[in-house]
Amino acid sequence: MALNDLEAKASWLRQELFKMAMRQKKGHIPSSFSCTEILIALYYGGVAKITRGQPEDPNRDRVIVSKGHAAMSQYPILADYDFFPKEELERFTQKDGLLGMYADFRIPGIEGISGSLGHGIGMGAGFAMAARQDNNPYNTFVIVGDGECYEGSIWESAMFAAHRKLDNLVVIVDRNELCIMGKTEELLELGDLEDKWRSFGWYSCNVDGHSFDELMPALNLVGKTDRKPLAIIANTVKGKGVSFMEGRAEWHNRMPSDKQIIEALIELGIEV
Amino acid sequence: MNNKKPPPLMRDVVINRIFEAAKNDKDILFISADLGAAALDNFRDKLPDQFIHAGISEQNMVDLASGLALSGKKVFLYAMAPFLTARCYEQIKCVIASMNLPITLIAVGVGLGYDHATLTHFTPEDIACMRALNGIEVLTPGDAEAAEEVANVAIMDPDFRYIRLDRQGLEPVYNGGFKSIFDQGFGHIVEGKNIAIFTCGVLLRKALLAREILAEKGVDAGVIDLFRVKPINGRALASVLSGYNAAVTVEEQSLEGGMGSAVLEVAADQNILKPVRRLGMRDGYVVVNGDRDSLHELYEIDTLHIVNAALELAERF
Repeated sequence: MALNDLEAKASWLRQELFKMAMRQKKGHIPSSFSCTEILIALYYGGVAKITRGQPEDPNRDRVIVSKGHAAMSQYPILADYDFFPKEELERFTQKDGLLGMYADFRIPGIEGISGSLGHGIGMGAGFAMAARQDNNPYNTFVIVGDGECYEGSIWESAMFAAHRKLDNLVVIVDRNELCIMGKTEELLELGDLEDKWRSFGWYSCNVDGHSFDELMPALNLVGKTDRKPLAIIANTVKGKGVSFMEGRAEWHNRMPSDKQIIEALIELGIEV
Repeated sequence: MNNKKPPPLMRDVVINRIFEAAKNDKDILFISADLGAAALDNFRDKLPDQFIHAGISEQNMVDLASGLALSGKKVFLYAMAPFLTARCYEQIKCVIASMNLPITLIAVGVGLGYDHATLTHFTPEDIACMRALNGIEVLTPGDAEAAEEVANVAIMDPDFRYIRLDRQGLEPVYNGGFKSIFDQGFGHIVEGKNIAIFTCGVLLRKALLAREILAEKGVDAGVIDLFRVKPINGRALASVLSGYNAAVTVEEQSLEGGMGSAVLEVAADQNILKPVRRLGMRDGYVVVNGDRDSLHELYEIDTLHIVNAALELAERF
């Protein structure tokens, strides 16, 4: 997909997510909007090798959204991949619906379970080790939040993956600099994440997480990192695409008023 | 001089059995959080690709195991009991129990096994916390024979299991009979009429000794090895319980939620109204140096206290 097509796809995803969230007033919009381009790059930029209609393909690349608040951001993509009927998007969080606030293994295309932070990289390392042992060529991509990097398990797994030279494992840190109660650097400084991952033995780089120009070359480094796992620090804006939510911690789990919904719809290019 | 060969360590028995299976099944993976064993030295020497040292990182060990199990691997996790359970409980709940993955957790040194290490190494709560997990099977082999059979089952029928191994080699209780009672979930090792003594693991031997002392005092006690607290065989246990006048439960566990609690749950659920006296660890632990026997005395779960509890109950009948 060409870069401008990817941008159109990112707009599509934000529109779908906003509509999903507004139906039941459920979901985490800002977390999902900060990693939108990351997911579009993986699924539509030719990075993750996943075949339409075949969620169980043993050779598929594994994509784990470890920052479970953004679980919903995968759903429109997985429906678009024909992994389940698109009508499920309309039943998001509803009784008898497939798709929950957090993702789970019942959903085709979801590799594990999310909601609790700090599990995705360890699980991803398990997928990567199994791939290695079985001579299976697939890669594993794990999206973690920067707030998630407070979890000690993240660093246990980081150390482990580097020691095992899992260069078929990619971590993308959604560096939106916000967690629920405020700015990460003010609450508890995360500091230079690129440096931290590098010091744990990873190949590490910083990109603009909303720029396909920067995301695509970084993601395509997978397997070309001198046997190191790859950590991409994607600098993002939480709530990207809805100006009144952008960079504002208080929107983590808040729903807009009717007037704000209209504003957001216009900004996202959804017909009102 | 006693030239009797000491009983083998359960961990060696279990690991050797897994090693034998792993030689013919490359999907068997053994992961340790820095707990060794003589048998494990052999395993990692001969099958280096099937051994993973996770570091002293139990959280990662569990997350890693789930990714491996989701990829079709048969995973065995191995660590000291307190660090394989409470330390990474949230991980076990979220990424193993939630998906019911076929991962075997092998804990060494349950209860008061690391006697001289004291409280940080004790697991007075592991039965309570682990049996609360969705879909888990909790097994406490009482001797090496039982441990080997439990290992067999874990290999042949991979499932979400928690295997509680004693740190020490334990004198044999079963003489070739464990396999036949495995499915039942408990062993009615000695049958009696008056008082049923329920226990598991290391205290089996003290329960058997207590039974002998009680017999000398005219009390006919039976001993039940409740080696599987979950899923518990409520019906069959109720049938055993109803054959006695009263019961004593004794364990190296907290009184809240341990094996004794499981016995009470069975009694309640099966409408068996019998007096039950539970012996276990009460609140107010003290840090004290001493070997396991002295700890049993301190926590009042030694032979003498089993005997006294049984005698008090027997007086009523």
